[in-house]
Amino acid sequence: MLEQMSTRVLACMQCGKCTGSCPESGKTPFNIRMLVRKKQFAAAIAEELPWYCTSCGACTLRCPRDVKPSEVIIELRSALVEDGLMPLALQKALENTAVQKNPWGKSRGKRGVWADKLDIEIPHVSDTESKRLLFTCCIQAYDPRCMVIPSNVARILNKGGLEFGILGEEEGCCGNEIRRIGEAGLNEELQEENKAIMEEYGVKEIIALSPHCMNAFKKEYGDLGIKVTHYTEIVADMIREGTLTVQAPFEKKVIYHDPCFLGKQNGIFEAPREILRAIDGLTLMEFARSRETSLCCEGGGGRMFFEVETTYERNAEVRVNEAVEKGAEVIATACPFCVMTLEDPATEKGITVKELSEILVEVI
Amino acid sequence: MKNVLVVGGGIGGITAALEIASCGVDVTMLEEGPSIGGRMIQLDKTFPTLDCSTCTLSPKMVEVALQKKINLLSWAKPVAIRKNGKGFTVTILKKSRYVDINKCNACGSCSPGCPVVMKSEFNMGTGPRKAIYIPFPQAIPNKASIDKRTDRPCKAACVDACPIHTNVLGYLKHISEGRFEDAYMLIRETNPFPSSCGRVCYAPCEGVCNRGQLDSPLAIRDLKRSAVDRFDLDTLEPPQVQKTERKVAIIGAGPAGLSCAHDLAMEGHDVTVFETLPEPGGMLRYAIPEYRLPKAELDKEIGYIRRMGVKIECGIEIGKNMDAATLKNDYEAIFVGTGAPQGIRLGVEGEDLSGIMDGLKFLRTVNKGESLERESLSSHSEREGVAQPALLVEGATRAPLIGNKVAVIGGGNTAVDCARTAKRLGSEEVTLIYRRTRQEMPAADEEVEALIHEGVKIEFLATPVRFNGSNGKVSTAECIRMELGEPDASGRRRPIEIKGSEFSVPVDTVITALGQATETDFLNPLGVKLRKNGTVEVDPFTCTTSVEGIFAGGDVTTGPAYVVDAIAAGKKAACFIIKFLKGEALVAESIDAKPEKLSEDEVKALSIWVAKADRIPMPEEEINQRVTNFREVALGYSAGEAMTEARRCLAGQIEGCIQCGECERRCEVRAVDYNMKDEIIDLDVDSIVLAPGFDLYDPTEKREYGYGTLEGVITGIEFERICSVTGPTGGDILLKGETPKRFFFIQCVGSRDRLSGARYCSRVCCMYTAKHASIVKDRIRDAEIYISYIDVRAYGKNYEEFYKSTQENGILYMRGIPGEVVQGKNGLLVRVEDMLSGEMREVEVDLVILATGVRPRKGTEELCNIMSIERDEYGFIKANSVAPSKTNVDGIFVCGMGSGPKDVPDTVASGGEAASRCMEYINQ
Ligand SMILES: Cc1cc2nc3c(=O)[nH]c(=O)nc-3n(C[C@H](O)[C@H](O)[C@H](O)COP(=O)(O)OP(=O)(O)OC[C@H]3O[C@@H](n4cnc5c(N)ncnc54)[C@H](O)[C@@H]3O)c2cc1C
Ligand code: SF4
Ligand code: SF4
Ligand code: SF4
Ligand code: SF4
Repeated sequence: MLEQMSTRVLACMQCGKCTGSCPESGKTPFNIRMLVRKKQFAAAIAEELPWYCTSCGACTLRCPRDVKPSEVIIELRSALVEDGLMPLALQKALENTAVQKNPWGKSRGKRGVWADKLDIEIPHVSDTESKRLLFTCCIQAYDPRCMVIPSNVARILNKGGLEFGILGEEEGCCGNEIRRIGEAGLNEELQEENKAIMEEYGVKEIIALSPHCMNAFKKEYGDLGIKVTHYTEIVADMIREGTLTVQAPFEKKVIYHDPCFLGKQNGIFEAPREILRAIDGLTLMEFARSRETSLCCEGGGGRMFFEVETTYERNAEVRVNEAVEKGAEVIATACPFCVMTLEDPATEKGITVKELSEILVEVI
Repeated sequence: MKNVLVVGGGIGGITAALEIASCGVDVTMLEEGPSIGGRMIQLDKTFPTLDCSTCTLSPKMVEVALQKKINLLSWAKPVAIRKNGKGFTVTILKKSRYVDINKCNACGSCSPGCPVVMKSEFNMGTGPRKAIYIPFPQAIPNKASIDKRTDRPCKAACVDACPIHTNVLGYLKHISEGRFEDAYMLIRETNPFPSSCGRVCYAPCEGVCNRGQLDSPLAIRDLKRSAVDRFDLDTLEPPQVQKTERKVAIIGAGPAGLSCAHDLAMEGHDVTVFETLPEPGGMLRYAIPEYRLPKAELDKEIGYIRRMGVKIECGIEIGKNMDAATLKNDYEAIFVGTGAPQGIRLGVEGEDLSGIMDGLKFLRTVNKGESLERESLSSHSEREGVAQPALLVEGATRAPLIGNKVAVIGGGNTAVDCARTAKRLGSEEVTLIYRRTRQEMPAADEEVEALIHEGVKIEFLATPVRFNGSNGKVSTAECIRMELGEPDASGRRRPIEIKGSEFSVPVDTVITALGQATETDFLNPLGVKLRKNGTVEVDPFTCTTSVEGIFAGGDVTTGPAYVVDAIAAGKKAACFIIKFLKGEALVAESIDAKPEKLSEDEVKALSIWVAKADRIPMPEEEINQRVTNFREVALGYSAGEAMTEARRCLAGQIEGCIQCGECERRCEVRAVDYNMKDEIIDLDVDSIVLAPGFDLYDPTEKREYGYGTLEGVITGIEFERICSVTGPTGGDILLKGETPKRFFFIQCVGSRDRLSGARYCSRVCCMYTAKHASIVKDRIRDAEIYISYIDVRAYGKNYEEFYKSTQENGILYMRGIPGEVVQGKNGLLVRVEDMLSGEMREVEVDLVILATGVRPRKGTEELCNIMSIERDEYGFIKANSVAPSKTNVDGIFVCGMGSGPKDVPDTVASGGEAASRCMEYINQ
């Protein structure tokens, strides 16, 4: 693995495509191409630099020589993690995850609390016929702002007549962010635990609520023999097939922000838009940088859990400013990380951020 | 005799073919497209010398055409091959060009008329071409081709039903794509009265429209009007034609006479039209009411004929103010188009009472505005893009012309026009009295419909038997009921009076509209033979009368008919008068084709892939709005409605030529042949040289660069066309009609890139980008130009120097290729790291040009498969490393881009090499 990495790095032709694609390079002291260059020569790299990467994946997707710069970052981070040279908050998040299986360190026993407050009964996945699992993300399970998302989606799927179950307190972090922070060992542990549980209950299908979890299950768990989707794909299907009908209008101008892990990294651009287009009265707007060129919200790659040192105009602010300028009333997205990063500047500018399910529950 | 096959007519193939032919060997050259020249002929200039590409290549292409040893087959490619001794037998597919290459003289008359607009391959889609086209002026062979892909799924019965064979499908095609002006001009080709016909034509085309067999016929007439509505005829300059000084007189300024005059004037003849009434137009002016045909529209059409130099002398009645014999002496030919202006009497008691008038006279009076007082006519309701119809003749009112209780006798269009006019003049009760039933009414259905809507009562199965009056003025019409008996000569059931069913209708005005007769006595002195009913006897195919030099057409020969029939007769007469003046024999050429129906199977097949869509109704003035005035009832389609309606035409459902016949009609040497068939030819050859050339990477999949989604992102080869004098802008670098000032060139798009499957360097992009930048700098001195690169490959002599001079010219080379191109506020934003300074930049520009990489030409795989030729991992033809023109098959050689990226000098060198190895092989 290491060996492969170094030949890959040596193959870099210093074309700059990665830097031109990177949402961090240029506006922060970070420069992804330069890090690859330094790596070619095994030159010293300032220890704070690798932490800027948001793991948006743009560099890796576009590199003409397949150097996978974002993986180079993970490798650099691993070395730093090993030496304990990392932001304190991140260290804390890793420790929390090791213990409670979530970066916040909230009690694992409370992971399924969101479902308790629901007006519908959701079975444990083992009690379902379909063995279809609704998998929540750590943010959605614990963060008060995002806890509505799983309840919303559960209601929507239920309304669409879909059978599904949950794991409750047996669910644990998917490891997507942990791997990107550079803690390969912990990631492996998490994966093993999740795999074992799914195997135990014979899970056949995972509907991920967060694009990050979906990405991990789809691409990083090896072949599970389990169909993995993001919930927006399921809902879009339901609307198309007529099992779920939009009943009320939503008279607002809505601008859609593509999450990196849903959009560029996994090619799901249409499903969320299809849902929005199906809603009467809703005017769908687009950012200049949308779909493959969507601007990263800077929530990924561990950036959710700590603050970088430099001050600069955050991408979330850039996003919010554009939305306001374009006259949008709501920024819609389909990822809890994006909701969290966009919400602050949005509140400041008086514009609402809504996860797709939050619009949907209002209209079905 | 030895024979070599060269496949591909680019610079590689041309070089090889000329070399081999110069050794005295026969060459058959196959070019898949319409012309040789390959990619190089698409280039504006060539690096590193910046010589004009066409100037360099064109002489060589001409040499190919002149070289007797080279047999050039265009639209041809090999489809099978067999080893034959040392040589090969090749099966060649020669696609039909639907134009006879031996007849076509590249005059170019055909293309402008073609209604099918497609993307020009030569211009890489940056400009249009027609379905019939010559790809570029220097094409070899310089012959037109028709891009006919399928047979038209419609019989185009419309065209055959139209007396003047209007190119209906052609103008519908134009309208369906929003080209209203082109549609108008196409209609004008055969019709000098598009506006009049677009309003009042009885549209025999619609009756037979094949789409009617599926759902409903096209609104052919209303669509004609939609084109008229969007074109101002007053702005059209008549064509300059050579005057002949040959004098022709035309009697009668109706549609027949004026159409005849129009076509004669087109030929340069000196035409004078004599008209009895104060203004020209005939029934168009004096019978058809304003609310159906605004006179201002008619004036424009006649005005144009006047502007063509036709003299129209009104107020002259031949036989009264001027005698026919003088006319015969003063003019070389005469056309009689006096129509059928006489009313027919009912022949009942009391018909001469005051208050009873003839329908034609009534309409004429109203249209002339005689004894009518002015009434304010508010302006027509505004609709987008619709020309404002003119107001009526001076005023309109009932007194003293017409009373309050009006009876109109008759069931034809004239009767309906009279009744609707009477209603508009304010008569409270208007009753139409007709002998038969609604079914037998000769008036157009929609007219009768409108009549009923507007509140006119109809007494069917009734006829007046006597009019009673007091003080000499009519007061009642005594009528009798009828019933229908056996069919009469006209096929309609004969009405029979029912004894004792008399009833009386109180009236103060009676208008009779029973039919029309001709007035032809004035022709007697000339000895023109008349029929018993007073019509002029003519040969229907040539419009000749019994007297040489005298022609006739329209209602005067047929009795009352329709406008478009009159136009057709006038045009036909013009055609034969032209022949007559030339002293040619007057024999009719073609017998008109009959409108054909689709077979049941065809209808079934069509209904599978053509979605049902009903005709869009013509928007009309509201009923209560219309009966108070003479404003036009039909409001005209909006542009969108017209386009949607026109898209229903079955002919327009196919790609490419719709076989409308326009090019065939225009081609003087009759080179067009729609029935030409593809040919399969077997050919024995001793050796083969493959020069299939290359295609370019399609950057659409690199979504981050926005090609195909962002305006202003184009490829290098497209830019080449935009710069070229033979390109769509004649060499002006334009973006949306304006000169762009800020340019960003991105190199290596789809080269050196695992993602696009081409890990190789395309070898020409660095230099062609430098060339493009130099061209921009040369044409737009103040342009801001960036070139982003990974490294510049300027190998060998003259190239590095060219690179340097490009830099010195003020072009900014930036190391680092952009991550993304996105839409900014005032242009495109290119996000790029300027690596040599380590700075990230967002450069705002107008145009982004992607230097897309080279790919094997589409079809190379097929070509190699039939010949068992090996290709490399990228699909290029695999060449021997020490004899680079040798393939794995003995006797088959390769040159040019077909075996991998090469620039022009290298291609020429490889062509030479292939030629010499080929010569070596065949001489062994
Ligand atoms: C944007 C751009 C700019 C360039 N500028 C320059 C420049 O400035 N200077 C320079 O030196 N070079 C330049 N080049 C390169 C130059 O265009 C090529 O070197 C040259 O055209 C190669 O010639 P060719 O005959 O091999 O192929 P082509 O020019 O591609 O010709 C091949 C021909 O074969 C025909 N054909 C293909 N398959 C079949 C078949 N199966 N049967 C029959 N016919 C077939 C094709 O229709 C075509 O007409 C440029 C290239 C590009 C893309
Ligand atoms: S995109 Fe790939 S090849 Fe280019 S500089 Fe970045 S890592 Fe190197
Ligand atoms: S993953 Fe995204 S943020 Fe990280 S280096 Fe690559 S482009 Fe930059
Ligand atoms: S028949 Fe009509 S559509 Fe076809 S090429 Fe000729 S003009 Fe064009
Ligand atoms: S569908 Fe079009 S081409 Fe066919 S008959 Fe009707 S108008 Fe003519």
